[in-house]
Formats: sequence, C-alpha cells, structure tokens
Amino acid sequence: MVLSAKDAADAIRSGRLRGPATVADRLDLTEFKGESLPAGLHCYELDASGSDLESLPEDLRIESRLVLDNCTALATLPHGLSAGSISLRNCPSLRALPENISTWFLDMTACVQFETWPSKGTIHHGALILRGCVGVRSLPCWIGRLSQLNVAGCSQLAEIPDGIAVSSWVDIGGTRITGLPPSLQGAALRWRGVRIDERIAFHPEQLTAAEALAEKNAERRRVMIERMGYARFAKEARAKVLDEDRDKGGARQLLFIDLREDEPLVGLWCRCPSTGRQYFLRVPPGMKSCHQAAAWVAGFDDASLYRPQIET
Amino acid sequence: MKRELVYMDAKSSKFWNIELSGNSHTVTFGRIGTNGQSATKTFPTEEAARKDMEKLIKEKLGKGYVDAAGSGTSATGAAPSTDGLIPLIAFSSINHREEISRNAGTFIGKRVVDYDPEKPAKPDVIYRFRGDYDENNTVENLQQFIASDAASGTTALVIGAWHGDDAELSPEDVIEVLVKGKDRLSNLAAIYVGDITSEENEMSWINQCDLSPLLKAFPKLQLLRSRGGQGLALSSPQHENLRGLAMETGGMDVSVVRSVCISNFPNLEYLELWLGTDEYGANFSVPDLQPILSGRLFPKLKYLGLRNSQQADDIAGVIVNSPIASRIETLDLSLGVLTDEGANALLKLSSPTLKKLNLHYNYFSPEVIKQLKALPLTVDASKPSGMEEEDEWRFVAVGE
Repeated sequence: MVLSAKDAADAIRSGRLRGPATVADRLDLTEFKGESLPAGLHCYELDASGSDLESLPEDLRIESRLVLDNCTALATLPHGLSAGSISLRNCPSLRALPENISTWFLDMTACVQFETWPSKGTIHHGALILRGCVGVRSLPCWIGRLSQLNVAGCSQLAEIPDGIAVSSWVDIGGTRITGLPPSLQGAALRWRGVRIDERIAFHPEQLTAAEALAEKNAERRRVMIERMGYARFAKEARAKVLDEDRDKGGARQLLFIDLREDEPLVGLWCRCPSTGRQYFLRVPPGMKSCHQAAAWVAGFDDASLYRPQIET
Repeated sequence: MKRELVYMDAKSSKFWNIELSGNSHTVTFGRIGTNGQSATKTFPTEEAARKDMEKLIKEKLGKGYVDAAGSGTSATGAAPSTDGLIPLIAFSSINHREEISRNAGTFIGKRVVDYDPEKPAKPDVIYRFRGDYDENNTVENLQQFIASDAASGTTALVIGAWHGDDAELSPEDVIEVLVKGKDRLSNLAAIYVGDITSEENEMSWINQCDLSPLLKAFPKLQLLRSRGGQGLALSSPQHENLRGLAMETGGMDVSVVRSVCISNFPNLEYLELWLGTDEYGANFSVPDLQPILSGRLFPKLKYLGLRNSQQADDIAGVIVNSPIASRIETLDLSLGVLTDEGANALLKLSSPTLKKLNLHYNYFSPEVIKQLKALPLTVDASKPSGMEEEDEWRFVAVGE
C-alpha cells in the first residue's frame, strides 16, 4: 500500500496502520510515543527524532536518511540495517551497532554508552562522526575510505587501525591517539574542529610558548596551549603574578598571560594538599585574587562565602 | 589533422576549428550558424606548426571550449540536428560569475530576443517575456504570442522578470498561461523561468512556485531551467524525456533536494543545482545528497553541477569516493566556497569517464591550482577579478 507521508504518519501515530506500507517521501515520526514501529514499512526517509522507540522492525527499509536523534530509549538496531545516512545523535541507551550495518554517513555524536562494533559492516564514502563517544575503545578495520572521520572526544580511543582512509580530514581532538596509520599518512588533521598539523597533534612536547603566542589564529593558539599543558605554557610564557598567598598545599599564585585578540589566560597555580602535585586551574579572566579563583573553582561566585574548613 | 571546438555560455555560442596541413595551420572561428572567418599561419617546420596547434587547442579547452563531435552540435550548427535534440553543451546556465549580472544573451545556444507585441512573432526566434516597473505585460504578451502562428514552431521560451513592480509575485499566472497553451506550444523543448538579474530582483528574493505543471504539460520538454529558491517546488518530479534540469538558488530548501532524489527522470543527462547558503534558506545537509551521489538515480547523467554551495568542500570530500564520479563526464563545483581542503580531496579523483572539472570561483592557493591543472582533465580553476587576495570571510558567489 502506497501512502502519502502525512497519511502514513497519522496511521502509525494512532496505531491504525495494518500491513505493509510504502512512503515515497519523508515520514515524520518525531516525538513518536510508541516503543516500536509496524512491520513492512518502506520509506524514502524516516525521522523519528526524540521518539520513545526502543528498537526498529527487522524488515524496515529506508532509501535515504534515517534520523533517530535524541531517542533516549533506543537500545537495539536491526541486523543488516541499511540507509544512505544514519543519524543517531545523543542516543544514550545504544551500546552496539548491528551486524552488517550499511551506510555512507553515520553520526553517533554523544552516544555515550556505545562501545561494541559488529564484526562486519559497510561504512564508507561519507562521514563517520563519533564525537563524544566516550565508551569507544577501538575502530573496526572494515571501515573503508571515508570523506571525514571525527573521533573528537573519544577519550578512550588510542589508535586508528590501518586501512581507514579519508578524503577530507580526521578530527582527533581529546583522544589518546599518538600517531596515524599508514593509510592516513598525510591526511588533514583537526582538533575539535580546528585545523592543526602533525606536530601539534602528536609532538606537543616540541611546541614552545613563544610559538603559541606568535600563532595568529586564535583557535589554533588555544589548541597549542591546551596541547602544551597550561602549566608548562604559563611557566615558559613568563606569566605575570596577579596575587600570591598560601593554602594547605603551600604557596599558590594567580597567573596572567595576555593573548592577543583573545581573552587573557588567567589561572591558579597551586598544589594539591594531599598529593603535593602541582596544578594550573584556568579561571575567568576577571579574577583578582587566589582566594577568589579558588572559590570560583569550588563553585562559589561570591568569594566571601567560600571558607573551606578542611582541604584534602 | 583537424579539430572542431564549440563554446556556449549565457551570451554567446561560438565555434573554433583548426586544420593542420604540412607546415601551416588554418583557424576558422565565428558565431555558430555563420561561416566565420579564417586565418592561415605558416611555420618553418611541420613540427612547429603541430606544436602551435596543440598549444592553441589547449588554450581553447581551458577557456571552456569542447569538442564539437561529443557535444552534439556542429561548427556551423545552422541546421538543427535532425533528431531535434538540444546539444548538451547548450544546457549550461552560466559558466562564470560575471554572467549573473546580465540577462541571458542566449538560451540553448540561440540568441534571445525580448518579445515586442508591436512586431509580428517569428517561429525561429527565442523570445523573452518580462515586465518592467511601470508596465507589466508579461502574461498578456505571452497570451498574444501563444495565439499567434509562431507558437507552434517555437522550441524554447525565456520568462524574465514576471513580477513588474511587485517583487513578491510568483510566476504561477505565467505557468498557468503556458500550461493552457500547451497544445499550441507543441514543439516546446526548453523553458527558462527566471531570467532575472540581481538588478531586477536578488536571486534569494525571487518568489518561485511549483514548476511540475510544466513537466506534465510538455512531454517534449528537454530542458527546464529556473532561477530563485523561495517557494520553489517540483511536487511531481517525473518526465519521460527531460534531459536537463537546472535550478539556481541562493539557498535550496531540503524539500527541493528531496524532490530531485525521488524523481523519475530516466533520460536526464544534465543536473545543475545551485545549493546556496543557510542564510538564504539552504537547510539540507550533505547526507541529503547521497541518493544523487550514489549514482543509482540517473543512468544517463553526463554533467553534475552542485554549484554556489557553502558546503562545497564537504561535497568534494564525498564526491571523490562516490560512484557518480565514475559515471559522469563533467563535474561542476563552481561558484561555491571551495578551499584547498576541497581541492585536496579532488586531487584524489580517479574516474574513467570524467573529462572536465569546473571549479571557477574558488579560494584555492596558487600551489593547489598548479596541482589541479596537472590532473589529466580539463580544469577551470579561474577566479573572478578581485578574488585574488586572501580573505578571512568566505562567501558563495550568489547569496543574496
């Protein structure tokens, strides 16, 4: 039965759809309240963002786009799921992708529990976005040539397997990746959207404060400082001391470094009273005293209310 | 040895032939349909003559000339081809940015003339119907033309600024008149709805409408071209014989992209979409283009233009991996925000069919342009004047 997108959506929302249905357009089931969809559904595009869907029928057929953003209950996807593009942004219950998934574009931004790849599948030609997938520890080797690979914020990911290639760029911001496989040699690199080079990405120990301060692009300068580490940067950049006092950890300082065309870098240089380790805690640029900065770090906007009894 | 080249754009259609004979070559050039003029040049050796010929041919190809043989048109072009097919090269809307500020001088490779209700209409002329601020006779003139004897012979029509002093007006009335006159316009093969310069109305302000009634009314239609994105729709995207579809917008709505993707145009050879920017209504994302790039939609496609796009770099990155790149002869990503990132992706192109890459209007560095020109393809990586210096802000050629 061929249905218009509107008739099909109405029938599904009211639970009246019986038997297979084909929709040659975008089927809008956003905010749909059901846990599943009827069997025998074939549509050009399905958008069930923000729905209560927990799974999809095994025989669902999608031609172009499948959009399931913000489906908080979505836990499983059918074997052999195939679509031109699949968007699963912010689906926190999703732990695994199904066997033989096939698509050009896959966006899994903020699928925080996702960790299990199928043993086989096809993700190629387009963009694979795993931004903020903090559970991802590895990438499967069956991924072919992509246009873009975004693993920024995959904080447990330490390696990209050989064989994955990109035509545009790979974003490795905030990962533990320390080098690229042969198949990605020469690929353009990004760090949370900022274009960077291999030295910033993989040899931050070679960066100097002078080099970071001379960088004209403010976004790239921020990444360089982040990669160097605030502590080393503040030391090398000869930060100005705005305030000094003592706490349980010992002497502490409020440091200030001017960054052209960007807000100045202000941070509290202090020691942890239990471990003795030294930290540089970045604080808002308007801070005037060590105490005010420590209060802000502890969550107090009004520093006069911050009177710690014990610091550990 | 002989080579025949032709060139067509919004203002001219020209031919350029060269014939080598011993140590001299003869160049003949002129407007298509005329005999043109000839010049013979003699060289000290045969080798020198041949080399000079090769140099001249390369220069012409770089300017956008194509081989007459493959283009479906001939140097003289005086007689229309017997099968009535419009040559593919004549489908192109504009090649370079500066052409956008002028009304079409030609359409399907033939001269366009403003319709004058005081003069008798001729069947072999392509008329443009438009109104101006003090007097908008677009609909009346069109009705008069359709009632004349010239209507049945006409193969192409151009609809210019139909809105007169009411910039909000959509061409719905115009399309209704055309559809009503379909039996009298029995040979209509090409329609251009929106030959409107920015001086008449900015591209993004033009109110379009559903153009699919034209597809239904004119079964012999080969080319449908439109300008303007607001209200643009193809509610019933099917046509047995359509060979060219060109839609110019400053921002294309995702519903129009979807209509193209679910269309049934089995004979489409030429697809040109001006995608624009989100500031002016482009609300699709690159994955929405996947059905086009997958190559399963249009088995006969030879030219794909995804032009004037804010997302040109991202499109380039996907297209080099796509089956469509190995099916078409011309890829056109011109007029968009194309930077070295997109160019680096395009340098990985490996296609057995691709002959031409149009990247006019771009933000490439000189090094990258050099690398692109070394590709075994005809590459237009030219920039309009004033685009040389490195700008911090990057715009599509036609936003507003």
